[in-house]
Amino acid sequence: MVNDPSAAVVQVEDLHKRYGNIEALRGITFEINAGEVFGLLGPNGAGKTTTIEILEGLRQADSGTVRVCGMDPAKEQTALKERIGAQLQNTVLPDKIRVEEALALYASFYHAPASIKLLLERFGLGEKRQTFFEKLSGGQKQRLALALSMVNNPELVLLDEPTAGLDAQLRLDIYDLIERFREEHRTTLLTTHYIEEAERLCDRVAIINHGRVIALGTPRELVQKSGKDARIEASLAKPVATNRLQQLDAVVDCREVEGKYFIRAQPTAVAVAALVRFLEAESNSLLDLHIAQPTLEDVFVEMTGRKMEE
Amino acid sequence: MLPSIRIALMSIKLVTRTKAALFFTFLFPIIFLFVYSGIFARGNPDAVVYFFGPVVTLQIMGSSFWGLGLQSVMQRERGSLRRYRLAPIGPGTMVFSSLLANYLLQLPTLALLVSCAMVFFHMPLTINPLTLLLMVTVGSFAFAGFGLTIASVANTMQEAQVYNNVVWFTLLFLSGVTVPLPVLPAWIQYIAPFLPATYLVSSFQGIMVRGQVISDYRVEMLVLLISGTFGLLFAWKLFRWEKEEKISTRAKLISLTFVVPFLAVGIWMNKYGNLAATWKTTFALMSHEPLETRQPSSPVETFFLNDFERPEQEELLLKTWQISTDPNAAGRSVGDLELISPGAEETEHALRFSGRVESASGFEHGYVAAHYPFRLPAAASRLRGIQLEVRGISRLFQVGIIPPDPALPAPTLSFIPDSEWQTVRLPAAWLTAPNPFPAGSTLILEFRADGPPGEFELDLDEIRFY
Repeated sequence: MVNDPSAAVVQVEDLHKRYGNIEALRGITFEINAGEVFGLLGPNGAGKTTTIEILEGLRQADSGTVRVCGMDPAKEQTALKERIGAQLQNTVLPDKIRVEEALALYASFYHAPASIKLLLERFGLGEKRQTFFEKLSGGQKQRLALALSMVNNPELVLLDEPTAGLDAQLRLDIYDLIERFREEHRTTLLTTHYIEEAERLCDRVAIINHGRVIALGTPRELVQKSGKDARIEASLAKPVATNRLQQLDAVVDCREVEGKYFIRAQPTAVAVAALVRFLEAESNSLLDLHIAQPTLEDVFVEMTGRKMEE
Repeated sequence: MLPSIRIALMSIKLVTRTKAALFFTFLFPIIFLFVYSGIFARGNPDAVVYFFGPVVTLQIMGSSFWGLGLQSVMQRERGSLRRYRLAPIGPGTMVFSSLLANYLLQLPTLALLVSCAMVFFHMPLTINPLTLLLMVTVGSFAFAGFGLTIASVANTMQEAQVYNNVVWFTLLFLSGVTVPLPVLPAWIQYIAPFLPATYLVSSFQGIMVRGQVISDYRVEMLVLLISGTFGLLFAWKLFRWEKEEKISTRAKLISLTFVVPFLAVGIWMNKYGNLAATWKTTFALMSHEPLETRQPSSPVETFFLNDFERPEQEELLLKTWQISTDPNAAGRSVGDLELISPGAEETEHALRFSGRVESASGFEHGYVAAHYPFRLPAAASRLRGIQLEVRGISRLFQVGIIPPDPALPAPTLSFIPDSEWQTVRLPAAWLTAPNPFPAGSTLILEFRADGPPGEFELDLDEIRFY
């Protein structure tokens, strides 16, 4: 594992890739530091998989510079593959291969393979070691795919949509496994179109849309930079005119819908304090209060004018 | 190399876990053996020997085209090659592992075929097991190259199936794999030398039926090896991991050069070879009963093999006797057979074997041979050899007996005839019982005009046991 946080394990600069008439990547640039969990966040078709597959050496860029572990993936594939682990968006293995056999087979291709026993334990596949691939559930297949990405004990792990198609509980399981990568200071790049996944797992995120990086930073930085206001939802004991609430400190805007007040405020804490003081002065009281902080989804909507799923 | 072996062994393991793959790998060839041996050969061990080569060829072709080739395309279409691509292995590893798995899977099937043929149809194993293994190795290598070339140029499963069907049925029906070539029209016999399966079938039959050795088929083996090498090079260079990667028309056209060795050798064989006659000879040995041996109850001396006194049987007689020439001077040496009259010692007919011997460039000698298949009469225990009347142009001739088992000595006698009839005796001690080969086995009486280039003429009559 590379522990020097100043060392860039992945360097991507002005990456371009075209499929016929479609321009999949239009000048992607980012760096991933050692030990970092980095997310490529974007809707389907944004260029996430193309980017990760160029880093894995599965595709060649039309132009731009790519260095992975100090190597060019297009020219030094064999040496690079010894050092990286990758999980494909859809890992297909022969139906009749057993879990343990698959791990042993793929581990045998590397100079310094990981212990199969430990991998089985770590990815919760111990009881399924003799099960055929075709008999595994979706979650188990995904665990096996992750385990396969670790058979060479890689310093960089590239995960393409590791939780796509899984239910919420299975997703949480996978999150735990990926968080282990962080604990081990293993550099990790993951692509996702799940906002909460990027917010929860990633130290830094690059939001990609139409083949371009439209925002890059920690999730907190991105939200702050976006200038989006927090939303306060309040239910009051007695009705109040919205124009009076709009005059409170830090309140940007206020609407009332079916007796509920929706207040946009910046900073949130100042607005909440002002609201409480106002209600006391008016002999009114709060029945319910809910504060919603802006998310990466809000950032994405603000920057692209559309939702992630669209 | 090691990853290839590991992938190959895993592939074999996966085959043993898939019922359909097990059926087509092991059971299907056995079914063909029973069909060929039971229906085409009617259980006759000599005919089973003839059809054994086509069955083995069929098995090699089937596993190469429908197993190896299609499997490669299927893996690519399914996306399972992508996972291998993430590992530090290249196309060469994948191609070699496919080749190896395909070959290793042939071996138990081959053992099953040999065992079933010997146990159920009493097929004499008229081929050295190592020669058989070598030929299966060469055949498997050549057809694996063929199958993988098709897999590498086909963009989809449907496309691969279309290509496979075209090649498969062409080879199946035009190269002697199903229907023996001598019974097919002349134009098919002209096409056959362009097809690789023809070389494998002919080599098997020549060695197993005619008692030839593998070095007699070195050209055929070389062509198969060259085409296999071409095929594997194409498969390696055109290997694709992803179904999205499509092959260009230009690459498809380049891959057509795979057929160049077959085109070249096909043209050469049609021009200089004597394939049709060779196929005919081999087929005759299997398909025709030797002309009935006259066996009156009189003394041993009258056990005639042939006295040529039944001109009404001339057509059948000439069909049974077969001419072959030195393969090194193929197409240049010629031989002919005809009934002449009168024969020796006031008989009415004799057989004339005449023609011209040519040598190959760089050689001083050549030969033309006439073969006559026969079986031992019931009273073989009292026989000591073969006797015949000869006359002809004064040059060196040889007469010999080729036994069914190549390991046995083949007695040969050289003689120089003149214009007068004279008696020649060929002692063959092993004619006496117990014979070291199965009862009813076919032996071959061979007359050979051997030596420097020139005309020859040899009249034969009163061929009998003594």
